[in-house]
Amino acid sequence: MSDRTSADATPPSALGDSIAQGWSDRDELPPADWGRRTSSRRTGTVWLFALLITAMAMAHAWLTDELTDQAFLAWATIFTAIAFQALPFLVFGVALSAVLTAFVPASVYRKFIPQNAGRAVPVAGASGAVLPGCECASVPIAGSLIKRGVAPAAALTFLLAAPSINPIVMIATAVAFAGQPEMVLARFVAGLLASVVIGWIWVRFGKADWLKLPSRTHAPGASRWQIFRESMLHDIMHAGGYLVVGALAAATLNVMVPREWLLAVAEAPIISVLVLALLAILLSICSEADAFVAVSLTDFSPTAKLAFMVIGPIVDLKLIAMQAGVFGWRFVARFAPICLVVGLASTFLIGGLLL
Amino acid sequence: MNRIAQGLTLVLLGAAALTATVPTNLYLNWVKAGFGPFLVGAGAVTVLLGVLVIVAELRGESSALDQSEATPEHAHGAEPDGGAAFDGAREHDRAVAEEYGDGGHGHDHSRAPKVAWLLLLPVFAVFVIAPPALGSYTVESTGGSSGPPPEEQSSGGFNDALTEADAGETVSMAVQEFVMRAWIDEDREMAGRDIELTGFAVPDEEGDGWYLARLQMACCAADAVVNRVEVVDDGPAPEADSWWTVRGSWVEPEGELSDVSDHQFRVEEREEVTDPPDPYE
Repeated sequence: MSDRTSADATPPSALGDSIAQGWSDRDELPPADWGRRTSSRRTGTVWLFALLITAMAMAHAWLTDELTDQAFLAWATIFTAIAFQALPFLVFGVALSAVLTAFVPASVYRKFIPQNAGRAVPVAGASGAVLPGCECASVPIAGSLIKRGVAPAAALTFLLAAPSINPIVMIATAVAFAGQPEMVLARFVAGLLASVVIGWIWVRFGKADWLKLPSRTHAPGASRWQIFRESMLHDIMHAGGYLVVGALAAATLNVMVPREWLLAVAEAPIISVLVLALLAILLSICSEADAFVAVSLTDFSPTAKLAFMVIGPIVDLKLIAMQAGVFGWRFVARFAPICLVVGLASTFLIGGLLL
Repeated sequence: MNRIAQGLTLVLLGAAALTATVPTNLYLNWVKAGFGPFLVGAGAVTVLLGVLVIVAELRGESSALDQSEATPEHAHGAEPDGGAAFDGAREHDRAVAEEYGDGGHGHDHSRAPKVAWLLLLPVFAVFVIAPPALGSYTVESTGGSSGPPPEEQSSGGFNDALTEADAGETVSMAVQEFVMRAWIDEDREMAGRDIELTGFAVPDEEGDGWYLARLQMACCAADAVVNRVEVVDDGPAPEADSWWTVRGSWVEPEGELSDVSDHQFRVEEREEVTDPPDPYE
């Protein structure tokens, strides 16, 4: 026993390694030891974190002032900014989703959301216009809606519509594009249209087994608060880890891709739309802020800016990573391309009509 | 990742959010000041959740939940973290996870995926790197100002410090307001006015002049937009990223306002300031 404890507590070369190591070792031990091994694992975990905190304190004392590379610091700033900007939304989203899971009985959804998936989709799209929250919040909420028996297509429509057309986003767009109400209208119509059409496509072609959803049937004895706690923990751990992946990718691209490259293509009519759609995917800016970035891309056409604001809330690196955490990669590999294609089609249509 | 690790990670993450907001103003380097209360709230909730998870785990509470939930093939393991029971069937579960994603078995929710360890990265970022506000590096690498807004030339309808100030008074303007006026105010109301601007110095890479710049942020540093003015003065260019309050006047351009790439500002007086509490505007 004592060797095991010390083995767990030795400085790991990497966090994941030490944990994986612990797992495979334990397969060889006899069942009688299981209870004790758990307590030694706990001790090991606590030691690991103690070590980690000590290492951070030492690094804080000696390393912090040595980090002076400008490009690295700019990258770190943007990474931290994305992560902490999303944190309140993530916590709000998982808390709301935990409330839905623990305190709202499934019958309520059956009352308000039509059973027929085809009719539920527009209802879900319209309800996206009511609930403020950005994409980080809507991923766990959509997950818990599906678990509560809402048709997946409707929950996915909500997932797309909520960050695209919620009141805060519309106000931010109106502020950014002051004097251009047609841009606000175009964003609302194109975002809603794309969400509803994607929902209908999912009704028609979607398969249930593409969605990985933990079938969390809670023990009968669990109190509502325990379910609430477990649901929040589960969602934060799944969506949060991937949020960090998305923030890492977005910060890297934000620092590495020079703006001049973008400006070089701003003149070409269709290509410029595609380039801004790609930029929206790469930058992963929160939908409540993307209008301000769009308005700053002054060399691009209004339709290209619309693409930036329609695609950003429905497909971006951060979202893809978070959706993978909640719904699985099999889902994302199908869902993200559909969103991109439908979002672009909607942009060209509405942009052509209104802008 | 077992439950103790999950709880401790949440406590550290929440502590990082609280450290950046309550005892320090670090968060202003990354997000809008308005996010402060939300970050405090999110940090507090995260810490609380982490503590609750650890307490429940130590009291062995989740053991009961897991036991009644475990499928028969794993029911022999009654460990509080559900982990050891998971071990025996680990290979099998991994195959299932590859097929259906890691929730395939539905009973393993006491474990978090390995990717959750990444939640410690923002913690490292706050405590070890403490990233500073974006500065001259960003101004240089984005190639200067964002350019004039595309709207039709406007006159009047501005809602900034200049509108409210009396004619003779020195007007303290945001760099953002200044460049906006400079580009689109066809009435050229700024001409001949005494103006005060605050920003950081960005030495000109090619010449020996310098720019006074300020980053405009809508939400977080990822969407920061550069606003800068070219400074016209006799003194030597100050060190990059030093903060200055300058008093002077707009150099009115000859031709079309929107054709100017960087508007110029003639500085009469300049004074170094310690970094303003909020580096963005």
